[in-house]
Order: sequence, then C-alpha cells, then structure tokens
Amino acid sequence: MTIGLNAFLIVAGLLFAIGMLGVTLRRNTLVIFMSLELMLNAVNLALVTFSRYNGTMDGNLFVFFIITVAAAEVALGLAIIVALFKRRETIMVEQLNALNR
Amino acid sequence: MNEGLADFLRGIAATNEWWYIMPEILLAVLALGLLVLELLSPAIRKHVPRVAMGGLGLILALLLMVDCSDCMGANGQSAFGGLLQSNEWSHLMRVFFVFSALMVSYLGGIFLAGRNLAQSEFYHLVILVAAAMMLLVQSNHFVMLFVALEMATVAFYVLVAYRRTSSLSLEAGIKYLILGALSSSILLFGIVLLYGAGGNPALPGASGDSLNFDALESFIALNPDNPVVLTGAMLVLAGICFKIGAVPFQIWVPDVYQGAPNPVTAYLAIASKAAGFMVLLSLLHGPFLALQDFLLPVLVFIAAASILFGNIAAVMQRNLKRLLGLSGIAHAGYLLIGVAASFTIEWVDNAVVFYLITYLLASFVVFLVLSLSGEGDDADLNIERYANFSREQPFLSGALTCGLGSLAGIPPMGGFVAKLLLFVAAFQAGLYGLLGVAVLGVVISVYYYFGWIRALYFNGSSVTALGEASNAPTLQNRFVLCALVVAIVVLGIFPAVVSLV
Repeated sequence: MTIGLNAFLIVAGLLFAIGMLGVTLRRNTLVIFMSLELMLNAVNLALVTFSRYNGTMDGNLFVFFIITVAAAEVALGLAIIVALFKRRETIMVEQLNALNR
Repeated sequence: MNEGLADFLRGIAATNEWWYIMPEILLAVLALGLLVLELLSPAIRKHVPRVAMGGLGLILALLLMVDCSDCMGANGQSAFGGLLQSNEWSHLMRVFFVFSALMVSYLGGIFLAGRNLAQSEFYHLVILVAAAMMLLVQSNHFVMLFVALEMATVAFYVLVAYRRTSSLSLEAGIKYLILGALSSSILLFGIVLLYGAGGNPALPGASGDSLNFDALESFIALNPDNPVVLTGAMLVLAGICFKIGAVPFQIWVPDVYQGAPNPVTAYLAIASKAAGFMVLLSLLHGPFLALQDFLLPVLVFIAAASILFGNIAAVMQRNLKRLLGLSGIAHAGYLLIGVAASFTIEWVDNAVVFYLITYLLASFVVFLVLSLSGEGDDADLNIERYANFSREQPFLSGALTCGLGSLAGIPPMGGFVAKLLLFVAAFQAGLYGLLGVAVLGVVISVYYYFGWIRALYFNGSSVTALGEASNAPTLQNRFVLCALVVAIVVLGIFPAVVSLV
C-alpha cells in the first residue's frame, strides 16, 4: 500500500497550523521558537512531498536552504533571549512590554 | 543529474555571468574587508567607518558611471539559469540601496560615537543588507527570493538588537525576530503550494521548474481558478505585506521602530520597504499577472486599511519614532494604491519608484535631525522635548520642517509631486473609493506632521528642553542636510530630473 499525496499534505498542514497556534498562543519565548521551527519543518515536509510526487528535484534542494536559514535564525534568537534574560530576568512575552511607554 | 549540473556550471563559466552581479560582489568584498581591518590593529580599527563610507561612495560612483544591467544585453535578460533577471528598475534600485547604505553608515557614525558598542560589525551588516536587497529586487526564482530575503532579514535581526546593553533594543529585536520568522514561514508555505501546483503533471501547463517566475506565470495563466494557486498567492502576498508593514501585518512596526537604534530604524523604514515594494511589483507583473481580478480587491482593501490605521493611530502618538513608524504604515498604504493601479495603468510603476525616492530623501532628513538632537536613549524622544527647538537650533529646525513637509506632501516638496502622481493614477484606474480614503489620510497626516513643526516653532512656554542639550551641527552635518533638502525641493519642482515621470 502506498500513502497518497494528500495524506502527507494533511500532516504538513496540521503541523503548520499547530506551529502557528503555538506562536500566537504560547507565552514563553522559547516555546514560541520551537513552534516557529515546527512551522518551517511543516514547510520542509510539504516541499519534499511535492518534490517526490511531481518528480522534480527543486523542492529537495530548497529544503537545504530552509534548514540553513532556520539554524541561523534560531542561533540569533537564542543569543537575543540570553541577552534579554540578563537584563530583564524574564522571557515571558507578557512581561516584555517596556516599549510603548 | 550530474551531467545537468555540470552543463549548468559550464554555461555560467562560458558566459561569465559573474559580471552581472559585480556590484553585489564588490559590496560583499567591502563588507568582509572591514572585518579583516578590524582584526589588524587598533590603530587601523578607528579608520573602519571612513573605509566603509569611502568604499560605499566609490561603489556608488561606479554604479552611476556603469550600468551593470547592460552587461547582460537588453533588459529582461536572465542570468544564472533564470535565478536573476534584470528589469527596468534593477539599475536604479542598486543606486537606491547603495545610497541608503551610505546614508545609514553616516547616521551610524553619529550613533556609534561615544557608545561602547562594536563598530565594524555595524557597517559590515549594513553593507550586506544592501547587497541582499539588490539581489532580492532582481530575483526571478523563489529560491533566490527566499535566500536574498532571509539574508537581509537575518542581518536586520542583529541590527535591531544592536544596542545590546539596552533592554528596549533587545525587546524590539526579539519581537522583530518572532514576527519576522512567522511571516517568513507563511511566505514559504505559499511558495510551497505554488511549487506543488505548478509542478503537478495532472494540471495543464505544469512545468519541471515551477519555482521559476516565468514558468509559474505561464502556468497560472492556464489555471487562474485553481484553489491551491489562489491560497499560495494569498500566503505569499501576506508574507510580503508583513515586510512592507501593511495592515493587517503592521503589528510589529511601532515597537520595532521605537526600540531599534536610529540608523537601523531609518534603514528599515526606507530600504526594507522599498525592497518589499519592488518584489511585490515584480510578482504582480510576473507570476500573479493572471490573478489580478482576484488580487485587486485584496490590494485595495489593504491599501485603504493601512492608510486609515497608520494615520489615525499616529494622531494620538507622542513618541516620535513610533509616530514615524505609524506614518510609515500610511506611506505603505499610499504606495499600495500605486501597486493596485499598476494593473491597468502602465506608468504607475514609475510613480511608485519616484515616491520611494522622495520618501528616502525626506526620511533621511528627519532621522538625521533626530540623531543629531537626541541624547542618551533615543527610544524615548517625545514631541514635548522638541518644544521651542528652533530657538536654539534654527538650522536643524528648518531642515526638519522641510523633511516633514515632504512627508506630509506640501508643495513645493518632492513628496507632493509623488503623492499627486499616485492619486492621478488611482483616478485614471477608477479606484475612486480608495482615492477618497487617501485624500482623507493626507489631511489627517498634515495634522500630526504639523503638530511636530508647531512644537518646534510656536510654543507658549519658555522651556527649551532638547534645544539646549543639543550641540550645534558640525559643518559636515550641515552640508549633508542641505544637500538632502535641496534634492527634495529640486525633485518637487523638476520631477523629470530622475527621468522617470
């Protein structure tokens, strides 16, 4: 039995939606970062699926670029979180409200 | 597969397409060179700002002399297997981005003086962002678009959080990073849907290279009603709207503009927005051309909502950098009028570019005055602190008035002609409702821009809070401000000097 294109796409769509909900609903910056990674990986899954079913290699190649960029983003994000924690002793979004005063 | 790759590389080597991206290569060499200079010795290190600005000036001069798009022959020629394509704007936008990098470096010199922050890395990142944006506006392939966009965005994350001793700057950095990464994911999901639909062998016009704009254009022309294509196009549009700060993706703009260092705020407002609009134009005139009936109402709604939201929120705002951010949302709205009208009226692209140029000049005047007058933390500059500024600083006040007048669209400033052109375009395209909203927006914007000017000149009390604290501008700063103001006025009186309109 082979698994169809739609099954993969539904999983990718669900992962994307879970990630999006995580970014908008969770309060901890680290969890938000994990949710962002989940969204990017949902994209990767969809790319690989389309690449396989359409028979073109571009999608597989694109995945490497996305992984690289995601790594750069997370490295930066963690650095900013550490610096921010040193100043404010919190990483919860509701307490990061010093702007707009 | 290997044969294909080898052929591809051989083709690039044979045609020597590297000449085509020579300005970008020179910028990258300059950026890396700065880091090497930093390593050499402390005596050389203090010349880094001068080397950065000198190098940028040299590249700008070279660009004004040589049009690199011509290296590839006629416009519309693609390079690197279709990754890049020169269009009628690529040369002008290269000049635009190098000039803004030069101005941001100049502002950066003022900002970094006396602050205990890394010096060379600032110029390094500013130059890399310029190179990335130059590639971004010429990209003709979604992989190229994504990589160039992320190269610029990741550098911006660092720049926004550059003042790492200030929790405001760091907070702005993390907000920009979370929302920027979110928008990138949305953009990517859109790209994936377009890639999947465009490569599906079951659909007419499917292509093996469905990330390429040309292949997608012919595919979408055959399948304009495909729901996957429509969803993908909407998601890509949402990702770009985030970058230009249009409603409903404007949520990051005020916080990030306030927290970021002054030069970075200027860079975000000008170069980031310009790059977003050029990408939007090339997408709408390329792959999404066949979807215009579907996209036009969406664009009109976003434009109207941006103009109203930006202007109304700016009226209440007392913090100047937030005010500039909110009015930037309104400016994005005016520019979107041009984008919406460009489906039917051909010359509107020119008007959009002209608007971007006047916005660049006026914004740099305003940010230069902000940098020269701000002391200490530049995130808390309120209108009240400018009370009676003109008594102590008549020159800076005059320049600020010209800059704000151009942003508000008062003749004879360049901003007036730019707005007029966009409004005429909206009228010709029959977007009357949008035109009404835009005129209302301009009226509201005059109120808050002139509130600031009024604070400079006419204020009953005798406090001169900021005026006394600021030093008189040096001869160099006066010269730069004068040149920018003259350019604004010249553009207002003789708009044809840019040979666009």
